[in-house]
Amino acid sequence: MAETSYLAPDVPLPYCRGCGHALVVRHLSRALERLGLPPRSVALTTDIGCVGLADSLFPHLHTVHTTHGRSTAFATGMALAEAVLESKGPPAGLKPVVLIGDGGAMIGLLHLVHAAQLNVDVTVLVHNNFLFGMTGGQHSALTPLDFATATTPAGNSTPPLDLLALLRAAHAGFLARDYATSAGLETLIADAIQFPGFALVEILELCPTYGTRWNQLTGAALQEIAARQGYWIGKMEAGPERPTFLEVFRQDKETRKSEIENGDSKIEEGRTSGLDSRSSNFDFPSGELRVVVAGSAGERVQSAAALFCRAALSAGLYTTQKNDNPVTQGTGFSLSEICLSRQPIDFTGMESPDVVLVLSQDGWNELRANGTLARCRAETLLYLDSQLSDIPPCGPPAQAGRAVRLPFRREATPKGAALAALAAWLAQAAILPPGVWDAALTTLPARRQEEAARSIGIGGRLGAATRSQP
Amino acid sequence: MVAEGALAAGCRFFAGYPITPASEIYEVMMRELPAHGGLALSAPDEISSLCYCVGASLRGLKAMTATSGPGWSLMIETVQYALMTETPVVIALVQRLGPSTGGATQGAQGDVGLAEFSTSGGYTIPIFAPSNASECYELTLHAFNWAERLRTPIVLLSDKEVGMTTEVVDGGTLEAAAPVERRIADDTATYAPYAFENPGDVPAFTVLGGDVKVTVTGSAHDRRGRLRKNAPEVVEVLLHLQHKIDAHAEAMARVRQDLDTDARCLLISYGVTARAARQALRALRAQGRAISFLQVQTLFPVPRQALDWALAGVESVFVAEENLTGQYRAALAPFLGGKRVHGINKIGSLITPGEIVRAVEGLMG
Repeated sequence: MAETSYLAPDVPLPYCRGCGHALVVRHLSRALERLGLPPRSVALTTDIGCVGLADSLFPHLHTVHTTHGRSTAFATGMALAEAVLESKGPPAGLKPVVLIGDGGAMIGLLHLVHAAQLNVDVTVLVHNNFLFGMTGGQHSALTPLDFATATTPAGNSTPPLDLLALLRAAHAGFLARDYATSAGLETLIADAIQFPGFALVEILELCPTYGTRWNQLTGAALQEIAARQGYWIGKMEAGPERPTFLEVFRQDKETRKSEIENGDSKIEEGRTSGLDSRSSNFDFPSGELRVVVAGSAGERVQSAAALFCRAALSAGLYTTQKNDNPVTQGTGFSLSEICLSRQPIDFTGMESPDVVLVLSQDGWNELRANGTLARCRAETLLYLDSQLSDIPPCGPPAQAGRAVRLPFRREATPKGAALAALAAWLAQAAILPPGVWDAALTTLPARRQEEAARSIGIGGRLGAATRSQP
Repeated sequence: MVAEGALAAGCRFFAGYPITPASEIYEVMMRELPAHGGLALSAPDEISSLCYCVGASLRGLKAMTATSGPGWSLMIETVQYALMTETPVVIALVQRLGPSTGGATQGAQGDVGLAEFSTSGGYTIPIFAPSNASECYELTLHAFNWAERLRTPIVLLSDKEVGMTTEVVDGGTLEAAAPVERRIADDTATYAPYAFENPGDVPAFTVLGGDVKVTVTGSAHDRRGRLRKNAPEVVEVLLHLQHKIDAHAEAMARVRQDLDTDARCLLISYGVTARAARQALRALRAQGRAISFLQVQTLFPVPRQALDWALAGVESVFVAEENLTGQYRAALAPFLGGKRVHGINKIGSLITPGEIVRAVEGLMG
């Protein structure tokens, strides 16, 4: 096998007579030979269109023929993988080389932009012949002004995208433009492939089938078109040199070394032999207990519920916490539906709550809107913040017998109210062993522990005072 | 738990894009994957996310992305590419209320059809559907293992209420499947990227970038990966794409069944609604009814044997799912052998145990 011959010598090229694509594959082949790259270190990644026929012409390269416009993204994935692979063994040093047309560059524009931003080791050769050749000569976003195509018979009136200018703004490290007929193209392609980060060469061509059909073109037509668009020809001066994706990844790995060494599975560490062993020493009711806590966004309703669930977990109970809030994170209601049980829990919703804690008008309104209030029973216990003034005329649901009003917001601040309410209920109901809050508090960051403990303390006192009342 | 399952399965590449309710998987992978020697990164859109994963998988890495319905819509092109090129990849699809942007913070089971019937030609995409956090872990592991074994894209289909509900998991009860690695070609001299003897065989894989030339193509191709038109071998390769899934359907089948040999009625559900169904089952049995229950975890390929087993002696079948038209019920219908089939359907919020109980009572008397 003549592994050093990149372009199969004996295969007729599949392009129309006069097509620039034939010149590009020859330039590419010579560039690869000049670089002396082993054929298996190149992944020729081809797009859809006439440009995509090239994969069959290089019998010794890896070839990946992709979907339209996505070739750059697939190549980016291959290049990104290098970062993981090099930590496992000797790096393969694979060079993805993307062949794409002006149509592919248009539909896959974001892939080019992101590859440039990441500075992955991907080389892109854009075959810009100003139109979609394989589908009949339609115009693209790179078609020059006044250029006639099947879809712009009177000449294109939309200014073309200057790929190089655009990708320069995306911090591409290597950008160049040249004519397919240029003798210097081989060098440009070789330099682009050798460049360790993202490199793009835009190659200007004329489609001999459609480009010449509707346009009066002279021998110097391509140069005239480029001049009219104000296109830079040759290698563009790059911005300041910046690290490649691989270099950034290696640096990041070095700084996170200790973390990586300790990266064992949390699941394996957390394997226990069941929850039942600690769960028999307190008076938790049989079956499931369902609690709703509702308030306003930004007032730590869901995090209070999470802390409560951890408290219950520390007592050996199963818990589920199902949250709800509007799509905006910082306004409107915020609520958590909690289920507690000695057994694993199936349904996580709230058919009929046992306890409803309402901290704000937002919370009350949502519980009314989502039907929770209507599903309360005579046994349902309601804890309402004292500041909920305008509950009537709807009022607490008639079927819910017991409502307790306590000043959670005033005593524990709005952000501590949900936690205080949960603590008040727990102090009164005494269904969990004492000390469960302490275990849960240790799971909070140190700066939050004191504040949370204060809210729990306030809630506990409010709840105990209620219990002592007749 | 999806992320933990992925890490345990050996996932070393993740590309994501923010979308409720799948962002938590993305965030956990961004945080945890580097510590496991992997790479997680943000893509500029969901098309790129999956393309990056496929590119990395071609190089031998186990790869995953996570999204919801709107993002899945954008990925369908690349899902088909992964299927056609026989590239393993796992997509965690956390459903939310659709159509279109729909309800970002509302659960649903409305993407069953969109996920399964998303290929031109109707090829089977294996879909695993967890109903709780433990199953998220276990089925993610299985999704990776089957993606690697079969060299195919696999969907892990959950929803907002499974993906974003916090719950206690008893680590001691988690099933721990050993990670499976894709079969690497040993005979490199005669290597063909899509070689198979029997149509149900899975071609051996060779890493892109290694010493053996790899040819990958999403176009209709022969065993060597060469674009061919009107060649019988191209059709053979296409048939093989489906046969390899069919041939492993029973091995892939996972259900949780709770059968009563006297039952005249079978309740079928999956995903989050299976939780309500289990609770409803207890209530119906407490009434003295003989009723069987089948929770389907492998939605596709349809677990035919388990279904036949559960259907024995049954006259009526109820299929409970949180979507408008009974998408999975329609997919099961050809396999229900003329039983009376009733849908329990709802959108906008969880189907409750009470609603299932009342539906069964209403029809069974």
